[in-house]
Amino acid sequence: MKLRRFLLRYYPPGIILEYDLKNGSREMKEIDLLHLTVDTDVEVLVNQIVFEEPLISEKKKPQLRRLIYKLIEKLESKEANDFYLFKILRAHILPLTNCAFNKSGDKFITGSYDRTCKVWNTITGDELLTLEGHRNVVYAIAFNNPFGDKIITGSFDKTCKLWNSDNGDLYHTYRGHATEIVCLSFNPMGTTIATGSMDNTARLWDVETGECVHTLLGHTAEIVSLNFDTHGSRIITGSFDHTIKIWDTRNGRVAHTLSGHHGEISSTQFNYSSDLCISGSIDRTCKIWDVASGQCVHTLRGHNDEILDVSFNSTGSKLVTASADGTSRVFNTMTGACQSILIGHEGEISKVAFNPPGTRILTASSDKTARIWDVDTGDCLQILEGHTDEIFSCAFNYHGDTIITGSKDNTCRIWKN
Amino acid sequence: MGLLTLLRKLKRNDREARLLVLGLDNSGKTTILKKLSEEDITHIMPTQGFNIKSLMQNEFKLNVWDIGGQKSIRPYWRNYFDQTDALIYVIDSADRRRMEETGVELGQLLEEDKLAGIPLLIFANKQDLLNALAAKDISKGLNLHTIRDRMWNIQACSAKTGEGLQEGMEWVVEKIDNTNAGAGEEEKAA
Repeated sequence: MKLRRFLLRYYPPGIILEYDLKNGSREMKEIDLLHLTVDTDVEVLVNQIVFEEPLISEKKKPQLRRLIYKLIEKLESKEANDFYLFKILRAHILPLTNCAFNKSGDKFITGSYDRTCKVWNTITGDELLTLEGHRNVVYAIAFNNPFGDKIITGSFDKTCKLWNSDNGDLYHTYRGHATEIVCLSFNPMGTTIATGSMDNTARLWDVETGECVHTLLGHTAEIVSLNFDTHGSRIITGSFDHTIKIWDTRNGRVAHTLSGHHGEISSTQFNYSSDLCISGSIDRTCKIWDVASGQCVHTLRGHNDEILDVSFNSTGSKLVTASADGTSRVFNTMTGACQSILIGHEGEISKVAFNPPGTRILTASSDKTARIWDVDTGDCLQILEGHTDEIFSCAFNYHGDTIITGSKDNTCRIWKN
Repeated sequence: MGLLTLLRKLKRNDREARLLVLGLDNSGKTTILKKLSEEDITHIMPTQGFNIKSLMQNEFKLNVWDIGGQKSIRPYWRNYFDQTDALIYVIDSADRRRMEETGVELGQLLEEDKLAGIPLLIFANKQDLLNALAAKDISKGLNLHTIRDRMWNIQACSAKTGEGLQEGMEWVVEKIDNTNAGAGEEEKAA
């Protein structure tokens, strides 16, 4: 085996080794550095990696050291500048639903009640494509990141459509759900699509053939949240039946049913290592679960009203909850301790996200504002004002220097720093 | 409200009913809804999308969807047809010029499969205006008596004063509650 080159992954921090096998084929191997911080002792880390990783020889140490310093630099919060309103896009003639970036952040997509999905150029604010064909609300949308050459749209018309993100060509229409599709995702390899529906089922579809590979049967109420794990081998679904289910994507069988919530599930997610997952519920709690055993590790309390969204940071060391009580709370994943409470919104918070470096949190609220918060102090750093109706969706790009907000006021706004 | 709330309102629930409020732009749909929920009605802008309000009426929870009525967004009304328990159609009784237009729109709604057989309440709104047509004249003008496939009622009202709103909503709840009732109720012009 021979090391060919190093590749960097900023968020979450990691080093990818590209190497040749004896038979000439090329392989990749990831070294996750999820615990890397600005305080990490780089010499100790370099020695440890070289000791544990046979592909990296002693003489590669200086190069490895430089790469680690570069990763650390990316973790520091340099965003001293405020975000400013870059563009208002009169995006749709009816309210927006969700919005999403591609990995590089040069394009984003918006879904709408006007039955279309639009593709936008982030840099110019130009509308690139309108994806037309759905017969009802386009609710859930996604790019096949990190590739970004395909888009999926899930609609209240019960179908999911797969599109070419460059020219808008329709590849497939996936039919089979009995009612509205409200959540969807590509697997990380971009080969499988998962859709969740108000018909209580989720389905796995093959991107190439357009066929339904598995129907995930078991929930007794609407599925409103689903996510793949980092390797695409499992999928998590959150349902109005108060449970979460973890499924094996290879055979479509339930691995665990996570019971314990006393209300509908609103949001779910795996951490990056995919050994833990979280669920937010109408019962005002968030639970952290052990994926292998299906046991609840922590129940996070404190909110005075329904939890509407939950999200891990990119390494999984922290998580944030968004609530109808108008606050968000930041928790330490390991201990389950609440680290800060984000207080200021004058209405419920429906969406919350960390920036990829994990230094900032973005919240979107029915008070028509989005806000940016310092993760460590819990201070509100900025209020993004201007929307004239509630904000349904928001997202950071991968580099964390651009934000999009989608609103019931039919516009989408791009914010830059 | 948020997107999750939207999904929860889509969900079927026995103790809840879903009402759809439609009508031409400026007929007063949003004002009626705000008046019913005792909100300020002095600054109401044309609805560019939709509003959802939850009202309690006779121990029924009514999820009321008020959809913008401008011509450009009327083709999207059908986005909201699924699982509707009753249709409320609002008419500006003083807008004589557009009486025919509102009749055409209503006629099309009554042809929709997804709205077939569900109770129809027509609010003859803006009765506080001097030139408002009486409910019975609207009823005659729009040939409402030809509606035979559903229970229907026309209720004179004023969203501004609140007059007639409660009566109309009580009729709606009674009809939703009374699921065994047959179609073709007699005309009850107010």
